[in-house]
Amino acid sequence: MKARLQRILAGLAALMVAAVIWLPCLHFVFTRPVSAFRAEPGLSPEARQLAARHLQLWTDPALRETELKKMRVSNAEWDFMGRGYMVWSLANTALRDPASRPLYLQTMDQIIDETLRLEKQEGMYFFLMPYAKDRRYVMQPARSLFLDSEIALMLAARRAVEEKPEYKPLLAERVNVMVERFQKSPRMILESYPDECWMFDHCVALDAIRMADYLDGNDHSALIRDWIAMARRRLVDPKSGMLISSFTTDGTPLDGPEGSSIWMVTHSLQLLDADFARDQYQRARKELGATTLGFGYAHEWPKSWPGMPDVDSGPIFPVFDISAGSSGMAFIGACAFRDDEFLKPLAATLEFAAFPSRTDGRLKYCASNQVGDAALLYAATLGPLWQKVQMGAKTR
Amino acid sequence: MKKNLKKWTIFQRAEFLSAKDLLQRAVVISLLFLALHLAGFREFTGVLNGTIGSLALGWNLSAFLAVIYIVLYLAFVVLVPILILAAGILAIGQRFLAPRTKSPAKPLPD
Repeated sequence: MKARLQRILAGLAALMVAAVIWLPCLHFVFTRPVSAFRAEPGLSPEARQLAARHLQLWTDPALRETELKKMRVSNAEWDFMGRGYMVWSLANTALRDPASRPLYLQTMDQIIDETLRLEKQEGMYFFLMPYAKDRRYVMQPARSLFLDSEIALMLAARRAVEEKPEYKPLLAERVNVMVERFQKSPRMILESYPDECWMFDHCVALDAIRMADYLDGNDHSALIRDWIAMARRRLVDPKSGMLISSFTTDGTPLDGPEGSSIWMVTHSLQLLDADFARDQYQRARKELGATTLGFGYAHEWPKSWPGMPDVDSGPIFPVFDISAGSSGMAFIGACAFRDDEFLKPLAATLEFAAFPSRTDGRLKYCASNQVGDAALLYAATLGPLWQKVQMGAKTR
Repeated sequence: MKKNLKKWTIFQRAEFLSAKDLLQRAVVISLLFLALHLAGFREFTGVLNGTIGSLALGWNLSAFLAVIYIVLYLAFVVLVPILILAAGILAIGQRFLAPRTKSPAKPLPD
């Protein structure tokens, strides 16, 4: 009996010692050099493989249909956002990899044309969640900034890589509509859903306007400046100093700062106000970014403004308070601000917990979906498009 | 046949929490995980982001299969190395720390 007890105690002690040795080492198995995810210049291996998988989705209609159906069961928005991220990624990819530019441009056109066709044929509610129909939009005629902003940025990104005359009037029309409505709104706040407005969509809309200025020689810098001044005044959480994620048309907060939104917002702001963008990134990094045992992740909410899990946050993993949505979007922030200290542990978590599947030079993350992978592809490729616009005069 | 199997000591049940027991558990977990992995269960982990794993199988079954895969995956990458390390620690401990017993005297030839 004594010998048995001794053996069990020895076994438990050995397990504890082994755990103390292994757990801090586990991340080494999944850690890759940052260059595996983001390369300067050119395309990283990860970006190339993710792009190959997405190009396959757009050349294989049956595969695309299956993936889109899976997402639309949960959220019709993801179908639309996946298109946006894919087009913006391909624009950056085309600038990084000029040899394959014709293929990227062809795919961008295919996605844009199909998205415009669906919007025209099915109406704007096709890409919105069902509750969009529950109430009347405050500003009439009803439009969703979610759709207008992302479609405008798709058109602008395509034209920034290589001019396509057919898209010039389409972009001008979207931009004019958004500008007119910004001017018409007493607080420069536009709806994505009835009386529900999103920081993400406003920043993307202003990026599209900024890019259209670059492409067509207009100047909406005063509008952009005024909007940022308004956001700093009205749409900032006083405790964390971070921009809130959703609000009503009169600026009343609906949700506080959210990881699933703020990381992309900080990147969008880089094109509008670089100092404000960096300030927001640093705040988000401090409030939401975390690393444990070599694995990086992000929370959805700052301590000052907790929220409830929703379709944007994804599942929240307890104890460490890890948000799948925020952690995925954190790649965009970390890549945009070249924060390798955060990107490296984030990438280790991606390898560990997102279940990568690599076949025939194509990569997908099984724990993700098409929009998640497209956002990761965008993180791995972003840079050249913004740089081109920031550099100034368009080469005509 | 039974006699032959007995020679394969790896299949004999070891004492609880002995080095051999820990190794046997590591092997069982690894084999189970490998089986699920080769069967393609990784595809179901899409439930982690709220996406259905398989349209044909539906939400509940997809989520159930995902949970099984994720538990075994975590066991494989976290627990199996700990079990193997612990087995190594026990083996080394037994070799160097166990009290030395005198070897029995050789019987004298008749």
